[in-house]
Amino acid sequence: MLSAAPDASKHDPFADEALSHLDAMYGVACKLTRNPTEAEDLVQDAFVKAMRARDQFNTGTNLKAWLFRILTNTFINKYRRGGLERSVLEGPDADPLADGWVSASTMRQLREPETLALMPLVEGEIQRALDALPAEFRLAVVLCDVEEFSYEEIAQIMGCPIGTVMSRLHRGRKLLQRALYNHALALGIVKGEERPGEVAQRPAAQASAAPARLADYRARKRGAA
Amino acid sequence: MTTHDCRDRITLLGSYLDGELGAAKLIELDEHVLNCETCCEEVQLLRAMRGSLKRVVRSAAPSGFRDRIGNAMAAERARVDALAAPPAFGPAVPVAPLPTWRTLVPLATAAAIALVWAAATRGNQTATEARASLAGDDLLAELLSEQSEPLPSEAHNAKDVRGFERYVGVPVSPGNFERAGAHLVGGRILSFPMRAQRAAMVHYVFGSGADERHLSVLVYDAEKIPEVGRANLAPRAIGTAEVRVGREKGYSVAATQRAGVGYLIASDMDPEASAELAASVYNDRER
Repeated sequence: MLSAAPDASKHDPFADEALSHLDAMYGVACKLTRNPTEAEDLVQDAFVKAMRARDQFNTGTNLKAWLFRILTNTFINKYRRGGLERSVLEGPDADPLADGWVSASTMRQLREPETLALMPLVEGEIQRALDALPAEFRLAVVLCDVEEFSYEEIAQIMGCPIGTVMSRLHRGRKLLQRALYNHALALGIVKGEERPGEVAQRPAAQASAAPARLADYRARKRGAA
Repeated sequence: MTTHDCRDRITLLGSYLDGELGAAKLIELDEHVLNCETCCEEVQLLRAMRGSLKRVVRSAAPSGFRDRIGNAMAAERARVDALAAPPAFGPAVPVAPLPTWRTLVPLATAAAIALVWAAATRGNQTATEARASLAGDDLLAELLSEQSEPLPSEAHNAKDVRGFERYVGVPVSPGNFERAGAHLVGGRILSFPMRAQRAAMVHYVFGSGADERHLSVLVYDAEKIPEVGRANLAPRAIGTAEVRVGREKGYSVAATQRAGVGYLIASDMDPEASAELAASVYNDRER
C-alpha cells in the first residue's frame, strides 16, 4: 500500500493471488459470453474492478468467490445493457420436469463407468447443450460442477438466495440431461421411452424456446415465495 | 418405493452429489441411493455429466493474456494511488508549507495561519474524499448509464416499485416524485455485489413532446452505502433538506438522504430542478 512504485506492483501479492484464478475466470467468462474475445474483455473488466475495490476485500476471506462475484456482476451489468438479453436474471419459463421426464436408467448407456464421464459420442454434445442453457442456469451449473463452489458461495456470486441456486442447478442439469437424451435418441444410442399418461417426446426446442412472459413469471414466483 | 417418490427426491440427489445435504438427509439419501436402482443411476449420471462438464469447460487463458491482465491491474492500481494522493496540492504539500509558513508569520495575524492550516487540512480532506468518491462512484456510474441508456423495467407500477423494499432493505416510495409532477415509467433492481448491496432504480418522465424530461432515481440503504456523491457533488441547503448537487456527463445529479434512505438523482433538467426534486423526499412520504 505504502509508496508503491508502479514497477513494484509486479510483486503485488493481491494481484498475484488474483491472477492465480485467471484460467478459471476465463473459462467461466467464455461460458458466460460464448465468445472468447468478449470473455477476455469481461475478465479484464472484472480484474480491473477488483483492483479498484481491493480495499473492500477482506483479507483471509475467499478471494476466488469475490472475484467471481465481480465477474458475474460485470457480466450482468454490461451485457444486459448491450441488449444481449436479460436472461441473466430471468430465464425461460419451461419447467424441465414438466417437459418430459427421462429416467436415468434410459440414460445409462450415455456414461462411461470407468472415467466418470459421458461417452465421447455424447460428450461433444454437452458443450453445445451447455451453451444453449439460459445464462443463469449455465452459470450455476458451471460454478458448481466445474469450479466446485459451495451453494452458499454461488448464492453470493449470483446475488440470489440458496434456494434459487438449488433450483437453477436442478433445472440446468435437467435441461442438459434432456438435451443429451435427445441427442442420443437422434444418434440411435437410446430408444425413446414410452410412459403411460406422459408425453415422452416433445421437440427439444420447446425446453428452451418461448421466452416467458415476465409479468406472469414474477407473479408466480412471488406467489410461490 | 414408487418411482413417483424418486421423482420427488430427485432435487435432493443434486444436493447429495454436491455434498450440500445436512447430516440427517445425507444418511437417509445414502441409504436410499444404495437400495434404489433409479436414484443410484441418477447419481451416476449426474457424476458423469460433472466429469464431462469439467473437461469441456476447462480452458486455459490464451498466452499473453496473463500479462495483459497483470498490466491492466497495475495501471489501475497506479491510477487509484494517484487519485488517493491530494490532487490540487499534489507533491507540493510535503515540501512547500514550511517556507510559506515562515514568510507568512512575520506579516500575518492568526487569520493567515488559520488560512494555511485550513488549506493543509483541506488537502488531506481531498485525499480522503477522493477515496470516498472511488467507493461511491460505482453507484453514480450505474445511475448515469441508466439515465442515458435505460434498461427495460422490471416493475411498471407504483405498487411493484414499492415492492422493491424487500430487495433493497429500505422503503422505495415513488409517490415522492409523483407529487412533484413526475410520471412513473418503471423500475428495476441493480445489484452491487462488491458491496453485497442492492439498490432500486426508478425512472420517471416529466412533461411530454419536446419538453419531456427524464429523471432516474437510485434508492439505496444510506447506512450500508454512506459515501455516495461525497466528492463529486457540492452541498446545498434547500429548506430543511441537505442536498448535494453537481453535473456529471451532461446530466444534473443530486444526492440526499432521509431517515436512512439514500436518494441519488440524475436528470436532464437543470441542477436546481434536480436539487429541488431531491429535496422533495423531505416532504411527507406516502407509506
